[in-house]
Amino acid sequence: MHLATLLSLPASLALLSLSLASVSPHSYTEHLHLLPLPQSHLHAHFNFTATTPLSAYESSHFRYFPRSLAQILQHTRTKELHLRFTTGRWDDEAWGARPLEGTREGGTGVELWAWVDRGGSKTVAEERWSELVNSLSGLFCASLNFIDSTKTIRPVRTFEPEGDHGEQKGNLQLLHGMLPHEVVCTENLTPFLKLLPCKGKAGISTLLDGHKLFDAKWQSMAIDVRPVCEGKIGEECVLEIQQSVSMALSISRSMRDRHDPIPRPARIEDVECDESKPWNGHDTCFPKALTGEPAWTLSKVLGHAAKGACDLERDDQAFDVTLEVPSDRPVNATGASELTLPSTTRRHYRLSSSSSFDLSLPTQSSPISFIALSIPPLYATRQIAGHGQERGSMHTTLRNPHAHPLTLVYMETLPWYLRPYMHTLRLSNGKQEKMYYTPALDRERGTHLELVLTIPAQSTATLTYDFEKAVLRYTEYPPDANRGFDVAPAVIRVLASNASQDYAGSYVRTTSLLLSLPTPDFSMPYNVIILTSTVIALGFGSLFNLLTRSFVLAEEVPPSPLAGIVRRLQGLAQGMLGKKGGAAEAEKNSGTKEGKVTEISEPVEEETEGKANGIANGHADLRERKARETP
Amino acid sequence: ACKVRFPIAIDLQSSSIPIEQRASVAIRLETLLNVHGDASPYHYKVSPAADRSVPLTVILQLETDDGGSGLHYTLDSWSPTVTVTRGAVTPGDDDLLASQLHQLMQQIMVDEHASIALLLRDSPLHANFRDGSAFASEFESLQRRTTRAFKPAPSYHLTISLFSGGSAPSSWDIKTATEQYISPLLGALSSISNFTVDTQVQLHASISPAIAGPTFESATNTWTLLATDLSGFVNAAEWPLSPGIGSGSTINLILYIPHPRQMPLILYGGGNSWIVPQWGGVQIVNPPSNTTSHLSAADLESVMLTFADQLMSLLGVPDSPSSLALRIASLQRQRTISLVLSASSTLGALVRLTRKLQSIAIPKTVAHSVDLTISHLEQACTALSEGDYIAALSSAKVAEAEAEKAFFEPSMVGQVYFPEEHKFAVYVPLLGPMGVPLVMTLIKEVKGLVGRRKEKVKVG
Repeated sequence: MHLATLLSLPASLALLSLSLASVSPHSYTEHLHLLPLPQSHLHAHFNFTATTPLSAYESSHFRYFPRSLAQILQHTRTKELHLRFTTGRWDDEAWGARPLEGTREGGTGVELWAWVDRGGSKTVAEERWSELVNSLSGLFCASLNFIDSTKTIRPVRTFEPEGDHGEQKGNLQLLHGMLPHEVVCTENLTPFLKLLPCKGKAGISTLLDGHKLFDAKWQSMAIDVRPVCEGKIGEECVLEIQQSVSMALSISRSMRDRHDPIPRPARIEDVECDESKPWNGHDTCFPKALTGEPAWTLSKVLGHAAKGACDLERDDQAFDVTLEVPSDRPVNATGASELTLPSTTRRHYRLSSSSSFDLSLPTQSSPISFIALSIPPLYATRQIAGHGQERGSMHTTLRNPHAHPLTLVYMETLPWYLRPYMHTLRLSNGKQEKMYYTPALDRERGTHLELVLTIPAQSTATLTYDFEKAVLRYTEYPPDANRGFDVAPAVIRVLASNASQDYAGSYVRTTSLLLSLPTPDFSMPYNVIILTSTVIALGFGSLFNLLTRSFVLAEEVPPSPLAGIVRRLQGLAQGMLGKKGGAAEAEKNSGTKEGKVTEISEPVEEETEGKANGIANGHADLRERKARETP
Repeated sequence: ACKVRFPIAIDLQSSSIPIEQRASVAIRLETLLNVHGDASPYHYKVSPAADRSVPLTVILQLETDDGGSGLHYTLDSWSPTVTVTRGAVTPGDDDLLASQLHQLMQQIMVDEHASIALLLRDSPLHANFRDGSAFASEFESLQRRTTRAFKPAPSYHLTISLFSGGSAPSSWDIKTATEQYISPLLGALSSISNFTVDTQVQLHASISPAIAGPTFESATNTWTLLATDLSGFVNAAEWPLSPGIGSGSTINLILYIPHPRQMPLILYGGGNSWIVPQWGGVQIVNPPSNTTSHLSAADLESVMLTFADQLMSLLGVPDSPSSLALRIASLQRQRTISLVLSASSTLGALVRLTRKLQSIAIPKTVAHSVDLTISHLEQACTALSEGDYIAALSSAKVAEAEAEKAFFEPSMVGQVYFPEEHKFAVYVPLLGPMGVPLVMTLIKEVKGLVGRRKEKVKVG
């Protein structure tokens, strides 16, 4: 039962593109699939497919195929390209299997893999790959240019070409790179829309609004270019570009008023309390769990209504929008004609070219019967464990919910500064059949690990290994070094096995991880400079003074003018105090003081002379001074 | 040093005039053409029969008819042949015929003479030649032509785009149209640069919001664009006109079909196309019907002819004479000389830079590039004086590319901007505390010295 629903979505899309591809080599179709998910979420999948005959592509005459992308592919001899921009997390516990079996989504951030003509040598493919990532970086305003040799791997089992490459296949090199740190946002959506023939000005692409798309719980933008030769023998092959946007929106969050975008707690009057709870009272309210689905309209959830159809030689039977809801749910559609197909849960709409299209669904209060959710091929989570800044360990939990064993490829790309100890690799409750491992080289290459695993039916397998964290060079840290370093998600591909062919070819990706590395104090180099300089200067100063200063007795020192001033000030202060006490006393004081001063000044000179005579032999400077004093 | 010389070989051919007379006309014509001697970069060599000592440049085909002694000529557009028709030539006509042919050649060459004079005007080479002020009246229009044209480059990328304001037309028979109208021209221009062509169709292209936009004239029921709006017409933010990815500049040729709402869209003051200097050309076409979804090759004929014209001016091909072969030959010479001049001036700038910044380290690759530039400049010069313009141009291209490579060597650019402040920041904490006792001692010593002097004076 679930298999049928799982396969029906991609099948309908594939059927659509196929049927049109055979009509005209230059073709363009677009389609939106809407499916309400439990807990008042909505899954929307936009698909835009354009094709061009290979001869027109090679002679650079473009119609629906975007020229800006095509010239990059031509220049770098890229035969098949897959590019993904993803944010958020698909909650497969609540929402079931991933859309299109996970084949049109990527790991958090940016993921890119491509088959490049290797042109005879290994270095050529690398140069072309480097040109490809740099050009795509410019085209999509993303930091794809940071996919350098340390982030590039050559997977063995995880990816298979989707296109028909004929004899060329042996001469293609697969390269794969991920950027988990990349934040996907509107600046990536704008160039994505620019590649479409209708550019977000007509058709379903008008529904794509950056505010709503990047506010979604999960979204994935994908671009897939591949050659297709599915026509009759002798018919020309076409190059197909599929652009798709898949997102899971929270309906209540998206329906928020546009003028008040700040999320606030609902007012207490608006919250429905769960009165069955024992702690419910006049001053305590426990919000009732959502059972139904609030009313929603397409224009509010996605920000716009669709502005007419993208009317490019559409097939008369083609439909633009599919909504998958139980047949008893009332749906109000404007600006489109409804097509009835022999399917009970699906409603198809064909947009009219002039009026704007909108869908509205009323509140569904009763616990609605959702379209039976399909069970994902497996549940996978991955964490970093351990403490301290030196070591850690990686834990991956793979749960097989099915009644048959699963064979899968588990692929990891680790940055070079995370050094796994492969001897600690353990798999509990599963069988490791094959391992492809490329060890990391510091600052040159990351670790590439692919494992072929079999997980028994209805069981959970855990994969663990320990690793060491490298200490980076001072300049290798990013400006926000204390945030941590992103580790790319693991990619899991289910393989066909003897036990079952189900789910073969579907993909599951774990979330990306944050690795905290030992982070230095960045003012340290300057502190070291200052401290060393101070020590050197101190040493130098004392040595210099030792060599150049003349050492004299305290009595020899002539009275400094400063001391005189201090003494006079002292006298003044004492005088003031004395005046307060009595004039006579003051006079007496001043007299004694003067007398003292004169008394002192005479013996000092005498003593100096005497002592100077004693030392004179040893100290030239003193001898000179003495000579000066006694002319 | 390079001496700029352009040998121009002229073949004087005729079926009706005997070879002896042609020889005598040829000698007279050569004397007349070379009147300025070494003061002109051009050296004409006129021969009465096919002479292959220098590569052929112009063929003068003399024909006689029954008309008077007046002379008229036609130019062939694909070959450098000038067909001259004149009344019967009598044996005494040699001087008259020679002077008539001289005038004719001057008419053909005037544009090129002026362009070369303009190019040489600001270079150190100009001292060798007579003052170019004879062409001063044409400098302004020539300069406009140069600023409009792209910088000389070994390869160009040509992007022909159809922008539709609405959703139709969405296809055009561009393959046939380019093969018919653009490819022959590019073939002829291949001796100057290499071209790659791509085409695209873009729908829902709105006019840039930066301009006031077309205004509706209710009297004529048309939408009008003012001349001031043309510079901002291209919506660079939205239209996907990303430049070609390979080397060389991208020349954009745009056909704009207005939105059915804004039809017909016309330019104030007539015309339907314009050039954006050093960027490309635009033309607006209002299709006869609002719902035309396909433009056939026949519909595109006039469009492609305009594009060809725009392409010529964007490449700086001279407007006259009317023969394409002669114009391209003329452009070849102009390109060669401008490339030679620019390579030499880049080299000069590099030398000045190294003299100014003595500490700069010059990598081996730069030295190698400089050597290559110099050797190719010499080759270009030799080829020029031999009249082998194709070889001269290709050497000049290499010289220019190598000179640029040497000048913009990334490792040298980095060294120029090494910040001295960093060294300062590191050494101040060391030198500061060390300097303080030194300075204090110095002051003390100076004071002591002054004090002793005074005492000596007192004692003395």
